[in-house]
Amino acid sequence: MGVRLYNEPELVDPVLIACWPGIGNIGIMAVDMLRRMVAAEEFGEIESWDFFYPRRVLIRGGELIDLEFPYNKFYFKKTGKKDLLFFIGEEQPSDSAGVYAEGTKAYRMANLVLDVAQRFGCRRVYTSGAAVAPIHHTTRPRVWVVPNSKGLLDEVKGYENTVLMSEVEGRDGQGNITGLNGLLLGVAKKRGLEAICVMGEIPIYIHGFPIPYPKGSKAVLEVLSAALAVKIPMDEINALIQQSDTEIESVYEKLPSEIKEQLDKLRYVVYTKPSEPEPITEEDKRKILQEIDKLFKKDTGRGQF
Amino acid sequence: MSQGQSFKLFTRPKFDSSSLVVAWNQDVGRLGPKVVDYLTGQLGGRELGEISPEGFFSLSGITVEGDIAQFPESKFYRCRNNNFVIFRSDIPRFDWYGFINLVLDIAEKYFKVKQIYTVGGMVLPSAHTTPRTLMSVVNSSEMKKILRNYDIVDDMDYETREDQRPTFSSYLLWAAKIRDIPSACLWVPVPFYLMTVEDPQACKKVLEFLVRHLELKISFADIDDEVTEQNQKIELARGRFPDLDGYISKLESNLGLTADEGEKLVKEIDELLRGSH
Repeated sequence: MGVRLYNEPELVDPVLIACWPGIGNIGIMAVDMLRRMVAAEEFGEIESWDFFYPRRVLIRGGELIDLEFPYNKFYFKKTGKKDLLFFIGEEQPSDSAGVYAEGTKAYRMANLVLDVAQRFGCRRVYTSGAAVAPIHHTTRPRVWVVPNSKGLLDEVKGYENTVLMSEVEGRDGQGNITGLNGLLLGVAKKRGLEAICVMGEIPIYIHGFPIPYPKGSKAVLEVLSAALAVKIPMDEINALIQQSDTEIESVYEKLPSEIKEQLDKLRYVVYTKPSEPEPITEEDKRKILQEIDKLFKKDTGRGQF
Repeated sequence: MSQGQSFKLFTRPKFDSSSLVVAWNQDVGRLGPKVVDYLTGQLGGRELGEISPEGFFSLSGITVEGDIAQFPESKFYRCRNNNFVIFRSDIPRFDWYGFINLVLDIAEKYFKVKQIYTVGGMVLPSAHTTPRTLMSVVNSSEMKKILRNYDIVDDMDYETREDQRPTFSSYLLWAAKIRDIPSACLWVPVPFYLMTVEDPQACKKVLEFLVRHLELKISFADIDDEVTEQNQKIELARGRFPDLDGYISKLESNLGLTADEGEKLVKEIDELLRGSH
């Protein structure tokens, strides 16, 4: 039980980019796209059955052929300079019934991922997720960056289109990163590894939508490709943005007019310091999210077999 | 694996080999629990041991169902002079793989289990007057051969939908396959409006198979009485409530119901069979 590596590539000073799904699938979409764009090769996995409930059963002719579990895969790409290591988890392991990683399973997985990374000489880790922000979906999202040591602050300040927690009004440099995209930063710190989490902004009202938000992913992709010095084409993500803009607009149109009026104020919000008082109150936020929930109520449950 | 915090055996019966019959308390139409309760009632079942809930269930409080405080249970039973063991349990909330492996470890080490049968109900938009069928999903060609001698639908094709997850019985079947334990999930379609109450007809269908396959001697009189009583209650209600009769007639003619009609039917039958009509 644990890690299975199919081969042992020789890597030069590799950087690990690890990601699990989260709000709006912002991080996972960006990291998975980066992995595909650089044509990284799969070379190992963390065996899933001790971490997850199966996600699919395949029955043929009355016989159980297979039970599929969420995957957790390692990939590598030789670049000639700093090589790249990817880890992509299809779900977050949890000891509770929550969506986000929590408890001993999450901690075990974080350690397994870093065990592999360190085995190949990795000293730097990136994770990615979403930052729920009071922005409008028509504005360009920025990327919140959180390093796991002071020594990295100057470097991350140099990344384009990014925000530190201390620059976010009312946060005073504080916050939290839920799930493994955050936990990995802590476990890396414990091991003396440098780690940075890059989080693409997602409008507060959209994080309740059951659709991805590729605009936030693109912002992450831009930061990661610059930090890793890899050039990647943006055609695919631009096409996804166009598609999602249409979907979001159609949902937006269905919102009650008083909610839309509130949301339209977000077009003009500057929430990083210095800023005007926030135009939407907590009560407004609650109402907005309730309306969004109403639009997307759905059922999930056990299958027939 | 040894006894301790995770499980306890109350007795140490000797088995050369045995079959394990598994039922989950959270089952459609209470099918699994009803089947194993009937067997233990008829055959004088005794508790053999139990798995501790710690680590597998939320112990942050209790749930109340039907005015009674509930607590997760995972128990093994033996019916005297019979070579089969019953495992009746709540479905764990955490560490599913650890739980399944513990069940299989205990079953193999202490009860010499060589075959496993899970019992479960599946919801179907059918009428209660439609005869029940027994369906199976197996984990080996060996088990498929064994079941060939019975009247069982055994050629299903199925894939879990994107928004759903496999049942816990399928998970157990898969884990048993890894250990080369020939196993089968036995499923009986339960009319959707009986899913919150009980379906004695479905129960009888499974019992008939188990009695024949495990060579058990039981009386079907009690379950037959339950079938008759349930059918009579529904027939009487059909006479008194034209809407209810209309919904069931539609199902009997293989016509679908609207969501609203379906909800009303479930509510009416639930109230009727729980005695509030």
